[in-house]
Amino acid sequence: MIKESLRRVFALAKKEFITTWKDPKSRGIIVALPLLQLIVFANAITMEVKNIDVAAIDRNNSVESRELLSRFEHSPRFRNIFIVDSEKEFKSKIDNQKVQIGLYINNDFSSALRGQKTSDVLIISDGRQTNSASIASGYASQIISDYTSEFNKSSGASINPVVRNWYNPNLEYRWFLLTILIPMLALVITLLLTALSIAREREMGTFDQLIVSPLSSFEILLGKTIPSLFIAMVLTCIMTACVIIFFKVPFMGSMLLFLISILISLLSIVGVGLFISSVCNTQQQAIIGVMIFQLPAVLLSGYISPIEDMPESWQALTYLNPARFFMALSRGIFLKGMGLEEVIVNLIPMIIIAAITLTLASRTFKRKLG
Amino acid sequence: MNILQALIKKEVLQILRDPSSIIIAFVLPLISIIIYMYGINLDSVKVVMGIKNDDANPEISTLVKSFGHSKYVNSKVYDNMQELENGIVRSKLKGAVVIPNDFSTKLSRSQAADLFIITDGSEVNTANYVQSYAMQIANNWLAASKYKYLAGSNPVTPVVRTWYNQDSNSHYFILPGSIAITMTLIGMLLTALVVAREWERGTMEALLSTRVKRIHIVLGKYIPYFFLGMISMAFNVFMCVGLFKIPFRGSYLVLFGVSGLFLFTCLGIGLIISSKLKNQFLASQVSLGAGLLPAMLLSGLMFPISSMPEIFQYLTYILPPKYFITFIESEFMAGTVWEIIIVNSIFLIVLGILLFVIVYKSTDMRLDK
Amino acid sequence: MNTVEIKNLIKTFNGERAVDNLSLGIEKGKITGLIGADGAGKTTLMRLIIGLLVPDSGEVSALGLNPYKQKPELTSKVGYMPQKFGLYEDLTVLENMKLYADLKNVPYEFDKLLKFTSLEPFQDRLAGALSGGMKQKLGLSCALLGDPEFLVLDEPSVGVDPISRRDLMQMVRNLITPETTVLWSTAYLDEAHSFDTAVVLDKGKVIYEGKPHDLAPTAQEFENKVIDLMGGYKKEKSLIAESYTPISSDFDCTVEADHLEKKYGSFYAVRDNSFCIKRGEIFGLLGPNGAGKSTSFKMMCGLARPTSGTARIMGIDIKKNPEKARSNLGYMAQKFSLYGNLTVRQNLEFFAGVYGIGLLNRKKRIDEIVEIFNFEHIQNQKSEDLPLGFKQRLSMACALIHNPPVLFLDEPTSGVDVITRRDFWNHITGLAKKGVTILVTTHFMDEAEYCDRISLFYKGETIALGTPAELKQRSNSNTMEEAFITLIKESGK
Repeated sequence: MIKESLRRVFALAKKEFITTWKDPKSRGIIVALPLLQLIVFANAITMEVKNIDVAAIDRNNSVESRELLSRFEHSPRFRNIFIVDSEKEFKSKIDNQKVQIGLYINNDFSSALRGQKTSDVLIISDGRQTNSASIASGYASQIISDYTSEFNKSSGASINPVVRNWYNPNLEYRWFLLTILIPMLALVITLLLTALSIAREREMGTFDQLIVSPLSSFEILLGKTIPSLFIAMVLTCIMTACVIIFFKVPFMGSMLLFLISILISLLSIVGVGLFISSVCNTQQQAIIGVMIFQLPAVLLSGYISPIEDMPESWQALTYLNPARFFMALSRGIFLKGMGLEEVIVNLIPMIIIAAITLTLASRTFKRKLG
Repeated sequence: MNILQALIKKEVLQILRDPSSIIIAFVLPLISIIIYMYGINLDSVKVVMGIKNDDANPEISTLVKSFGHSKYVNSKVYDNMQELENGIVRSKLKGAVVIPNDFSTKLSRSQAADLFIITDGSEVNTANYVQSYAMQIANNWLAASKYKYLAGSNPVTPVVRTWYNQDSNSHYFILPGSIAITMTLIGMLLTALVVAREWERGTMEALLSTRVKRIHIVLGKYIPYFFLGMISMAFNVFMCVGLFKIPFRGSYLVLFGVSGLFLFTCLGIGLIISSKLKNQFLASQVSLGAGLLPAMLLSGLMFPISSMPEIFQYLTYILPPKYFITFIESEFMAGTVWEIIIVNSIFLIVLGILLFVIVYKSTDMRLDK
Repeated sequence: MNTVEIKNLIKTFNGERAVDNLSLGIEKGKITGLIGADGAGKTTLMRLIIGLLVPDSGEVSALGLNPYKQKPELTSKVGYMPQKFGLYEDLTVLENMKLYADLKNVPYEFDKLLKFTSLEPFQDRLAGALSGGMKQKLGLSCALLGDPEFLVLDEPSVGVDPISRRDLMQMVRNLITPETTVLWSTAYLDEAHSFDTAVVLDKGKVIYEGKPHDLAPTAQEFENKVIDLMGGYKKEKSLIAESYTPISSDFDCTVEADHLEKKYGSFYAVRDNSFCIKRGEIFGLLGPNGAGKSTSFKMMCGLARPTSGTARIMGIDIKKNPEKARSNLGYMAQKFSLYGNLTVRQNLEFFAGVYGIGLLNRKKRIDEIVEIFNFEHIQNQKSEDLPLGFKQRLSMACALIHNPPVLFLDEPTSGVDVITRRDFWNHITGLAKKGVTILVTTHFMDEAEYCDRISLFYKGETIALGTPAELKQRSNSNTMEEAFITLIKESGK
């Protein structure tokens, strides 16, 4: 009995595997596209802001003010310093996004430095690019403070920050990004892979053939889950290997826990995908279904803004989001060496998500018979 | 002209009957706008921080208190270093501040006192916030404490002023950005499916056997989806400006004009994918993978293009969203800046025409290939 | 005068000649039937004539125009109905007609067409919601719009019941002018026999061209002649039946419908349907498109849930124990529904596995099937690339792979050439003799003669049940086709 059942499941799984794997186009898209994205995004995306261009008005025109500007020129983060005379030109440079930062040095700058009075240097940041602008203006403030504090030898009481960044001493954005990209790309590809699988069979008429066979709903579900899970697992492992070997992100945790975690994470995503697929009649509907799930899932995963920072009702909503836990696990195990207890805490919601979605999926495709 | 009208009418009827176009054009943008408005917060991140005070001086306890008063920090006081560290290990805390036992002594001697800040570097963004919040709170405390007379004053202070977005409200730029993403979706994903669908269902064969010309087929797809996109654009703008009161400082004429150009290029990309692949599954994979994700990640919306390695900067030149996002954020926040409009429009026009030509050439009029 | 002139035409796909050095003239004002085995090149030839494909070499001219260079001029004078009809399923009947009227630049004058097709009451129904026969009529109407000088119909009557088939033929004959040329490809030889000219294709070559009556005076003899032309059919012992290992059973009814009923709202798709099929019996389910045949069929194999009543296969209730009931069942769907991107062998392996054939026996069984069905040379080809006839054979092979005591065949011969059809029925009758119970639907009335008993279905109810001879007697008819039409018309009164 069980032997026969396994045989049926295996036959279905094998078929699924061949259909997705045999077509070179689909194989290329499933494997090459995520890897390409991983490489491109990992190299291209950075939170560090470089090559900043500056427009400066120097009303002081003193040795000190010129020294300050040359500090900017020598900083690796800044690129071109345009000294302009008129405010009109200054404004137009910023308006037209020729520069990201504007500096306005008042004419009392040098006298202030000599301690006669106080003055300020105005930093204009371009609010249209809020993220990078605020980072760039932070760099600019730092340069100005560093320079002016040199004049203030008689340092009094002050607070000196001694910062330790655990797990990522230099706060390398790429480490963070890569541990997020693995779950994100796995999510995108796994969802599409599974969401289209039943919808496509419905469109082609082959689903009837499956139903007429002795395969039970549970066996169909199993036969659909295993190959998708396997392909997604292999893909995720390749991505992980790339991240460790080529991008040299230190892997701090237990590899076994990591593999178990991605397996369960992927299982919950497969569940969601199959559920979407079982509700949809056509591939197009399934694609739309994926979009509707995926967009909030990525936005509310904690990657763009931390979960703890969301309103309470939204936080509750994120418990339905496998991407949230997947990312927490990937980042946690990779960079922090997350321990067993905490891994389990993150896995439980996903096991529940998987159980619910998979049950619903198998129920739904039976009910759809009409 | 009659043929074109008929094809457009057909496409419009199909759009109206097909919930998926409506979902992409109206429901999806609505969901994302609501999430951006209410769900996530990009401005000020509230962090949970642990505090351990080793300095017995009563004055220092006010520093601990000021951490508790900050609206950006949710502080927890620890006595045991082990427990504090465990908090970070278990992600209960995003960071910690440890005040060493010589803190007050150093300050009272007019010296620099060390303040230990620990962050969870696995979340780089939050780690940066932890650092800057801790220093801000500590410096503000210092300036108000009894040590303030001992503190050296810095005669020149850098003052940051953010133009176009004085309050640094991230909604002001993220919502126009989300409009751009919706436009990309309509332009690329929806159209990537529609031509493939006609090939899969065999209706293309019937069309080709009538006196339909290539230009009819191409325009018959461009025009209806162009209008769908523009209507969705209007809906988005209404949601943002009318409902959520995002300030719009530009001209609507210019906004819709350039949006039209952008849509024109996106439709081109979607139609090329569709007519080359003739298969909905592959077309959707490619348009999501090569269209949507780069539009979100490489267009300058979230990450600065100027900081990318040079090859990737060149790569972004072929991404229409790059031009549109630059434009739309500027148009919303800074108003009409002609140079930005003209430069970006020229790129969009050139790309759009180029893509149109490719679409035209790659539209098969026979069943051979 | 000829509408179409073809000289030494060659068209190759992947190195194989679909049209091989073909020369042909199609006479103006006549209906020309295009006949041939699956993969003989009928569709390719039609597409070449109207310029949807480009020839490798040779000359084609249609209506004095070059289809390749003057496609726009040509297409405005041609009405073409592709095999998939080319209807937009999400547009209504009227919207589809308006679209094609606009594309052909003709006014919206549909009264005559709508009346003729009896689509008038369904004008606002979505094309996707029409029954097969009605879709075909709509497709034909769209092709007929604007009175084309040249009408090209690619198997318009596949899967259509005899009444609708007569209607289609009537439509064409009544709605064209005496100058209109028609090129009509078909698998029905009685249809072809009634045309002015018949062209028989084989392997991309014309093997007969002339008046059908010159070949044979009656439709039946015409069929035999055409079969001879196409290489002849030798009735041999069915190897499939030979290899079948009978399963003994002591049920009175191996397949039983017990008051099956399906209601949609207040509409009965199937009403109180009961029958009992004995072991080794071939039971035919006949009826016009949309009569509820397919619904009955689906309920019998558990694809649709009956509103009330149930069905039993080998005594097992399909509602209570669907998986077990189905393991006794071999099912062949109407539409080709195997996995197109798997090879022939992979499809067989899949179904063998799903029906629980163990790994050790599997290879043996598949080798056996491959040999019986002559799949040796194609077993590693993708099944979607096969000609229709082979696809149907593969479907049948998959349905038979687990030696089922019960076989459900839903229009197994739809769109299959005449030789393959005979071959199929040879296997079906052979299997029945071995004790396999067979439930079959078909639109070929000559095939109905092979059935032991027939249930005639109309508007959700059985209007006649009996042996073919009984039914013919009841309706005073000579052929099953006449019997079918008479009985349906009688019950309609």
